[in-house]
Amino acid sequence: MVDVSQHKLVPEHTKLDDEAVEDVLQEYNVEKTNLPKIKLKDPALPEDAEPGDVIKIVRNSRTTDKAVVYRLVIE
Amino acid sequence: MTEHDATADYEFVDDAIVDVVESKELSRRLKDRIYQTIEDREGVSLDQAGEIAQAVEARYLDTRVDPLDPVGTVSAQSIGEPGTQMTMNTFHYAGVAEIDVTQGLPRLIELVDARKTPDTPMMTVYLEDEYANNRELAHQVVWNIESTKILALGDISTNVADMVVQIDLNDETLLERWPTYDDEGVVASEIAETIEDALGIKTRREGTLIEFGPESPSYRRLLQLVEELRDIVFKGIEEVSRVVIRKENNEDTDEEEFVLYTEGSAFGDALAIEGVDASRTTSNNIHEVHKQLGIEAAREAIIDETMNTLREQGLDDVNIRHLMLVADIMTNDGTIESIGRHGISGSKDSVLARAAFEVTVNHLLDAAIHGEEDDLDGVIENVIVGKPIAIGTGDVDLRMGSLDVEDADANAAPEPSDD
Repeated sequence: MVDVSQHKLVPEHTKLDDEAVEDVLQEYNVEKTNLPKIKLKDPALPEDAEPGDVIKIVRNSRTTDKAVVYRLVIE
Repeated sequence: MTEHDATADYEFVDDAIVDVVESKELSRRLKDRIYQTIEDREGVSLDQAGEIAQAVEARYLDTRVDPLDPVGTVSAQSIGEPGTQMTMNTFHYAGVAEIDVTQGLPRLIELVDARKTPDTPMMTVYLEDEYANNRELAHQVVWNIESTKILALGDISTNVADMVVQIDLNDETLLERWPTYDDEGVVASEIAETIEDALGIKTRREGTLIEFGPESPSYRRLLQLVEELRDIVFKGIEEVSRVVIRKENNEDTDEEEFVLYTEGSAFGDALAIEGVDASRTTSNNIHEVHKQLGIEAAREAIIDETMNTLREQGLDDVNIRHLMLVADIMTNDGTIESIGRHGISGSKDSVLARAAFEVTVNHLLDAAIHGEEDDLDGVIENVIVGKPIAIGTGDVDLRMGSLDVEDADANAAPEPSDD
């Protein structure tokens, strides 16, 4: 199987622990379900991810150095 | 990359200048451009560096999106206006490496509509180190990708009198396309087996000559077999009809390498082939990229493809942020959604906004049946009902009036009066 994370189009995906999730939701003042989503079957997901987890994605941004976004794992 | 040592990269940049520049609220890219400017001028004083950085920061903060700016509407116009220029020179096919690729407006529409397969699917296949520099090894990868059919391997003749199809395989072609074998007879027997499996008939082989016929003499069946024979894929990926090999300069290493362009796309299959660099190879089919690499890669691919489409047409002054916004919205729910009735516009919360877009009556009827409500938050619904729109100054509540000068002292907040 091909290692997806090595592809240049795939940014770094990491799973956030509960505490970090709280911080993020507080910072943006949103509910978990307001976050963009990522499907459970997404090949770029870390293996231990489950629905309800929040994934931190560090993109190599075109307009700035690094852009951090969050996605909620669904079904 | 944040811990980036600029003093090492630039001759005329010292620690003091780095401190000044790094303290500004700027993106890495802009900071690097400041260093480059200082470098181009062959050094500036610390004060001058400070002034440059100050000016860049001021301009940067000035051009940031204002609160309540309708970014979506601005993006729509910023992509739509160049789109009108595209219609004039569209429906042209321009070739990258002699392969026809849909460009211009049709391609842009195809991307935002999120079509399941593009009009002209294509892959750009990069190779791993040893394959990238060696023409023979690169060709091996080509034979593993390009679908090989019987016509490429030899001559077919149909003998109607004896009710047999004869295939005279070309020895050289066999050994060229199956480089791991050194006996063409072995290859020929494999081909014979493939034919038997695919057509469900028995074959006779003598050297590189393969012969077969229908079970019972039937002229129609014979011709049908020949038809089916032509479609059998003996090697490579079925979807890929042609591969073009090109020598290109690798921007990262500044070395020449072989790059393959394919007509037809099967991204998953291609990534698994030995010698293919699975970290750089891409497809122009955003759904295949999504399936193999995930939603974030699909987002990147949408941005790259839309930007390249505009650039090919000389419209690259469209700000990348507009395309990023489009890609963000299309990938927001974890799958690729199209812009339009079946996608984004059709899934809006507001009934009036949906009804204003397309198939008005259906939306209004459904809304009535389900007793939907409209909160009148968006732009379109407020235009319809004639209320101020909650963007820009429209969201700020101000009451006109004059201040009572006598009551106003330094501490009291100004109270608007009613006249």
